[in-house]
Amino acid sequence: MHIAFLFCSSFVHADEYETDTAHVRKLQTLTVNGQRLHVARASMPLQIISEKEISVLNALNVTDIAKYFSGVIVKDYGGIGGLKTVSLHGMGAKYTGVSYDGAMLSDMQSGEIDLGRYSLENISEVSMNIGHPTDIFQTARMFSSGSVLCLKTKLLEYDKNKNFEGKASIKTGSFGFINPSFFIAKNIGKKWAFNFSSDAVTANGEYKFLQYYGSKNNISEELKRSNTDIKSIRTEINGLYRIKKNENISLKANYFGSERGLPGSVTFYNHDDSKQRLEDKLFFVQLHYDNRVSPKFQHQYFAKFNRIFNHYSDKDPKYAGGILNDNYLQHEYYLSSTFKYNIIEALALSASTDWWYNDLDIESNINFKDFKYPTRYTGLANIAAKYSSNNMNVVANLLYTLTRESTKTGTASPNRNKLSPSISASYKLLEDKELRIRAFYKNIYRLPSFNDLYYQEIGNTNLRPENANQFDFGITYLENDIAFLDEFLFNLDAYYNKVTDKIIAIPRDLFHWSMINKGKVDIKGLDANLRMSVKINKQNNVKIMGSYTLLNAKDKTVGTDNYDEQIPYTPTHSGTCSVSFVHKKIETGYNLFFSGERWIGQITQPTNKMDGYMTHSIFANTSYKRLKISAEILNLLNTQYEVVQFYPMPRRNYRISLTMNLN
Amino acid sequence: MKTTKIISTILLTVLCAPLFTSCDSKDDVINAPEVSTGIFVLNQGKFGANNAGITYYDFTTSFASADLFLDKNDRGLGDTGQDMIKYGSKLYVAVYKSSIIEVVNPYTGKSIKSIPMKNAQDASSSPRSMVALNGKVYISLFDGHVAKLDTVSLTIEKTIAVGPNPEGIVIANNKLYVANSGGMQTMKDSTVSVIDLATFAETKKIKVNINPGTLKADAYGDVYVVSKGNYGSIPGKFQRIEAGTDKVTDIAIDVKNFDIVGDNAYISNFDYDDKWQAANKTIAVYDVKNEKIISANIIKSDIIKTPYCINVDPTTKNIYLGVSDYENNGKMYCFAPDGTLKYTFTTGLNPAKVIFITK
Repeated sequence: MHIAFLFCSSFVHADEYETDTAHVRKLQTLTVNGQRLHVARASMPLQIISEKEISVLNALNVTDIAKYFSGVIVKDYGGIGGLKTVSLHGMGAKYTGVSYDGAMLSDMQSGEIDLGRYSLENISEVSMNIGHPTDIFQTARMFSSGSVLCLKTKLLEYDKNKNFEGKASIKTGSFGFINPSFFIAKNIGKKWAFNFSSDAVTANGEYKFLQYYGSKNNISEELKRSNTDIKSIRTEINGLYRIKKNENISLKANYFGSERGLPGSVTFYNHDDSKQRLEDKLFFVQLHYDNRVSPKFQHQYFAKFNRIFNHYSDKDPKYAGGILNDNYLQHEYYLSSTFKYNIIEALALSASTDWWYNDLDIESNINFKDFKYPTRYTGLANIAAKYSSNNMNVVANLLYTLTRESTKTGTASPNRNKLSPSISASYKLLEDKELRIRAFYKNIYRLPSFNDLYYQEIGNTNLRPENANQFDFGITYLENDIAFLDEFLFNLDAYYNKVTDKIIAIPRDLFHWSMINKGKVDIKGLDANLRMSVKINKQNNVKIMGSYTLLNAKDKTVGTDNYDEQIPYTPTHSGTCSVSFVHKKIETGYNLFFSGERWIGQITQPTNKMDGYMTHSIFANTSYKRLKISAEILNLLNTQYEVVQFYPMPRRNYRISLTMNLN
Repeated sequence: MKTTKIISTILLTVLCAPLFTSCDSKDDVINAPEVSTGIFVLNQGKFGANNAGITYYDFTTSFASADLFLDKNDRGLGDTGQDMIKYGSKLYVAVYKSSIIEVVNPYTGKSIKSIPMKNAQDASSSPRSMVALNGKVYISLFDGHVAKLDTVSLTIEKTIAVGPNPEGIVIANNKLYVANSGGMQTMKDSTVSVIDLATFAETKKIKVNINPGTLKADAYGDVYVVSKGNYGSIPGKFQRIEAGTDKVTDIAIDVKNFDIVGDNAYISNFDYDDKWQAANKTIAVYDVKNEKIISANIIKSDIIKTPYCINVDPTTKNIYLGVSDYENNGKMYCFAPDGTLKYTFTTGLNPAKVIFITK
């Protein structure tokens, strides 16, 4: 949270607002939330969900929040322990970077982040940046993805009347789910701030689902998901030392450990329980120093160490000894520095350099006999410029990527060097209205993951990085002055993305695939967002959030049967709606999520079609003295649906939580 | 008042917007015709996608139905159709990941029985290939066993252990030959188990090249083996196990798949180019009586995608070559015995086996 607060919030605000203080003050007097203004003024599309909004979205983890952003497709394998990833604008989950208090999360083996692992217990804000955050005081790595999901954690701000904050809560519900959590934050004097948060999850994860074997008029069975149990624990400690007023040093240490069953996909007529298990141990520690003492010159540094251990096992008589054991161990050492200089008040320049090292070690009783044990050094250098005035923001950057790769045995992937530019602008159309148009172009270069390059029999060390060009044109409108509305925020963006040299797996036989650069995807779409706050009277307030995504993502790979077909798992239409109502101390709400039909392959084959679905969820919460109690019903209409084929999702389920304020 | 009205209008609009997207148009159902004379193609489907099926191609109408089994039973065949044989008046389909033997009436397309294949611990034993003789169907099981199924009672009579991950199974010299691939082991296997039919016991293991897969026998008791190698330093091979002596001889032909009808082996082969696309697709003819190549390639037509199966009609000697891109519907090429292309039709995903049906 310290970094979150400093980095994502106060600093961004400083940067965005300093040049524009009069304007900001005027708007502030009109009680417009600074966050909303930030969204309205961003030259690259930005969506923010704050802690208060998180509490009305029937959300358990970060993925549950991410699906309320427009342009997002969540891939969810179902259940509490199921893998959950997020992709934007049809570009694939590996284009989505995830920033945790200013430093990027990393998994070099798979290239994607399982967001199901990040609980919301200590999160104060989740934001989705298409392109990248337009604050230029950022690490170079922040500029290196197609989009960035920013997670900000809570840290106590200095307040001389309040130096302690804490809460303890317990959630329980369907699937044998129990989730105790604990959070405390303490300031010691003016200089020191600490916090500690921890939460544990245990669940059997079992739920019943309906499986059809043919048309819905014929036989179906009610079956139970099994081997779905999970135990996990997450702990985080933060410490902040305020050297001077605008000079801080902070340390964060985070550990996540879990052991879970992987239920696998449903196999017709075979009710064998899956025996696949996954154990994860993720640890990172990050140190951050930032100095914003002078309004002209600012600098910051990050150092981070990241260790990921996974153990996958499967019991099956087909394996030698009846069991398969795979161990994966990754390390990352990361350093970053950023300098920012304001030439004049309205024009800032920044330069950042990041350097990091990755390795991957694999041990298996059966597989990976010829594994190459790769290591990779990645260097990024970024220069950026930002011009901001009352009416206009222009941000441009140029990112240089280099990799130096080696392996213990065999050939390593060739070294890469590449320049990726981006430019974005927003312009205020009317003097007295917060109505803006914006546009951006971004070129980005996705390096192959270690799995793409070195996975046994599949990996291909000659893979080139993927190349993507993103274009976007949008309009934003923020108003706080319409008769009955406290707040009205509307964004509409049209975008066009072109992905070339896409890394795809092509088969050599049913069980042997090879990664090659072949795919080409053209993506056109629309994102719409609406936020409204309706004041009925002093004690009653209605908040409405809506999002809609139109996504036309066509496979343009020449010479395949799928040319010009919608790419798999991409609904043309999807959207969300959230309505919450506050009356005195009672808050209630309704959340809708819908996805249109999707194809998982050739559209001439009816069995490749997956039906669209809608889920409806409701909640109510109230507080009494130090206690807050909340009850939720998810998937109210008991809809049976799948996000990933043959991974059935839970039908109607329940959660209640009790939180005690320790202040 | 006005406020509530506006709110409800907004709510209604937002809530109703998605409704139209969830109205799905009914799929056009094309029912498979009654079976007369034609061919069945087993479509393996994709592992984990529950989309195995049977294409029926009718010789009279030249119509290929997408999935006869689904049409006649209103349920899918299951996950990963591995092998299909016709014996007596029944069709037997080994469905690997579903771990069942589906017994089907070939003339109606209706299921007679689904036999779950389980080991002693009640876990899937995963059927791979089948062969039938004297009222029994012998099934290789990927968990390292061979099962004997009685075709009257449709029950498993006995299961015996062989080598690891057996694939092809064939009968020659009144014995069963089973290829032990060891595909799921630290070291792949390189043996063929020999089982005495009378005692249903393994009598010996014959050493062949690493990772043996498909087996076929000729009329003279010789057994031919295709091995896949280790996908690395050791390449695949085509070998012959000689009748009587069990002597193993290498045959200098590259083979991906083959079938034997009469005195000829019909051999499908191809290479991968640098983009892992199939190139140089050929069908060679090999004389199994005199052990010599008759023709290195009899086809001249362009073939799309990757050859996936080859089967030859024992009556007409027409050659059927199924091709796949592993993602989409496959295609079946029918060649005359001299290699001229007669016709093609669309199959399901991964056409793995062709069998010939006469009413």
